[in-house]
Amino acid sequence: MAEMARKIIEVENFTKKYGKFTAVNDINFSVDEGMIFAFLGPNGAGKSTTINTLCTIFDSTAGSLKIDGKCVSSNKSEVRASIGVVFQDSTLDNKMTVEENLKMHCVFYGVPKTEVDNRIDFVLDLVELKDWKKKTVGSLSGGMKRRIEIARGIIHYPKVLFLDEPTTGLDPQTRATVWTYIVKLAREKNITIFLTTHYMDEAEVCDMVAIMDYGKIIAHDSPFNLKKQFTKDRAYITAKNCERLESLLESKSVGFQKKEKYYRIDIGEVSDTLNILSELKEDITDIEIRKGTLNDVFLEITGREIREGAEE
Amino acid sequence: MRVIYALWLRNFKTFLRNKTALIFNLISPFFFVYIFAGIFKHEGIGNASAFMLSGVIITMVFESTMRISASTIDDMTGGFMKEVLVSPISRLNIAIAQFISSATVATIQGLIIYVLGLFTGLSLSPSALLLTIPVMIFVGLVFSGLGLFIATKAKNIQTFQAVSLAVTMPLVFLSGAYIPLSLLPNAMQWFAYFNPLSYAVILFRAVTLGKLNSSGAELVHESIAFKIGSFTVTPIIAFGVLAVFGILFLFLSTISFLKVDFSKMNRNKKDLIDF
Ligand SMILES: Nc1ncnc2c1ncn2[C@@H]1O[C@H](COP(=O)(O)OP(=O)(O)OP(=O)(O)O)[C@@H](O)[C@H]1O
Ligand SMILES: [Mg+2]
Repeated sequence: MAEMARKIIEVENFTKKYGKFTAVNDINFSVDEGMIFAFLGPNGAGKSTTINTLCTIFDSTAGSLKIDGKCVSSNKSEVRASIGVVFQDSTLDNKMTVEENLKMHCVFYGVPKTEVDNRIDFVLDLVELKDWKKKTVGSLSGGMKRRIEIARGIIHYPKVLFLDEPTTGLDPQTRATVWTYIVKLAREKNITIFLTTHYMDEAEVCDMVAIMDYGKIIAHDSPFNLKKQFTKDRAYITAKNCERLESLLESKSVGFQKKEKYYRIDIGEVSDTLNILSELKEDITDIEIRKGTLNDVFLEITGREIREGAEE
Repeated sequence: MRVIYALWLRNFKTFLRNKTALIFNLISPFFFVYIFAGIFKHEGIGNASAFMLSGVIITMVFESTMRISASTIDDMTGGFMKEVLVSPISRLNIAIAQFISSATVATIQGLIIYVLGLFTGLSLSPSALLLTIPVMIFVGLVFSGLGLFIATKAKNIQTFQAVSLAVTMPLVFLSGAYIPLSLLPNAMQWFAYFNPLSYAVILFRAVTLGKLNSSGAELVHESIAFKIGSFTVTPIIAFGVLAVFGILFLFLSTISFLKVDFSKMNRNKKDLIDF
């Protein structure tokens, strides 16, 4: 993550219109090689539009998009050869078997014939679906299909793997499994991963996050920095003696909100907060510290919440 | 080559695995054979059943290519085509594979009817069978171009079905496949002259009925060939005309497929065809 890292995706002044409607409005960002980069945003933010344009399926209305130094609109086939894509909607061939799907993909990407079988076994091993090789894709569960798609996405050893909402619609367990594979890929195979999500917890563990809303990137940094910049940690306190607590907080000019059963205190400097809390030792009956989340970041910037787990 | 073969194999397997459609597609042809053959017995056409059956088979070949194009649209708007398009293979190869698979499937469907026809006592010359196969492949290729062209322009399955119905019906009924052109009103006959399927019907019927060597006058008399003014369209000329149509269709559809903007493709939305 040093400054020296090579930029594998570079996007400058990218705009995409559907007719008169502007889905992506003049965005700029870049992604360093080997990173897990997340696009976080509510429905309709323009995440899929950006992915589809980066992976050469859509043409951009304006701007320059490059992958590994190659322009995605003028160097389509080179770009296509160097990326793997898992679209938001499944693109598996449901009437064919898992193996047939993977074989077909190998043909498309010119994987040498002698290597095809080994690679199929390798990627199926990775997503733990080796036993399903001969099954028709249509008979697999949603989570298994997703894992097959991820396996297929990397079978030609791409430099960048695009994942458009890889875990949406999966049950929590499968979500966790799929996520494990994604992290494993990035860390062990050094594949740059560009994904979109509206799950906060997923974005949290990425190296870099761009928050998108109404076609604009409204924040772009590591989750740590974003939270540091836009959120405060909070303490949720219940106290025996409410008057004393309130007057003390006021005298120290600590921001707080009184809720039905508890007080919510913004934590600025940790040491100050600890001092206040120690003065209140006898009164406090319960305390919970909550760290700021990316949802708070979004809330802070837009005044709205990204509906967690929203599906449309 | 490897890519074209793989795509062809995939489309072919998909066709084979869809057994219900395979069987249902065979019902209407026979329906037409018996109805129309009954009617035309009284119209002085020598072997009415064989005459009808050859028209029905070639119509079947034509209609299959349109049906396969519908599945192309399905692939395009939804899943699989996206996987194809995001891969580094050239769109030209994809188009070629589409044409070849369409022609293959169409030919097979035509052959099934042909063979069933032989068993149900319809007398088509079995010796003509060998020559009919290349003709069916040729006709399949010509119309696969038309199918892909409409598919890339229609952009969604509803529009495609509406357009293909609007195109298929008049082409079939004004081609001489079911109703000899001489029985049609004058204006309709004019339409038939511009209908590529008319030429496919002449060619195919002459081959299946073993009339390739008959004179033009004889063919016109038997309603196999027709005249434009005083000019007789013989099977050889029909072949030439069809080849021209074919080159045009393949060319237009390839161009259209190469530059189709897939961000305008939509699985559900009903937008108008945009030429
Ligand atoms: N093919 C299209 N034609 C017209 N408008 C479109 C098309 N695709 C997307 N849009 C519009 O562009 C906007 C951005 O869509 P996009 O699919 O990029 O959003 P997203 O961030 O991926 O949302 P989601 O989380 O729901 O997947 C939306 O308002 C959508 O309605
Ligand atoms: Mg999306």
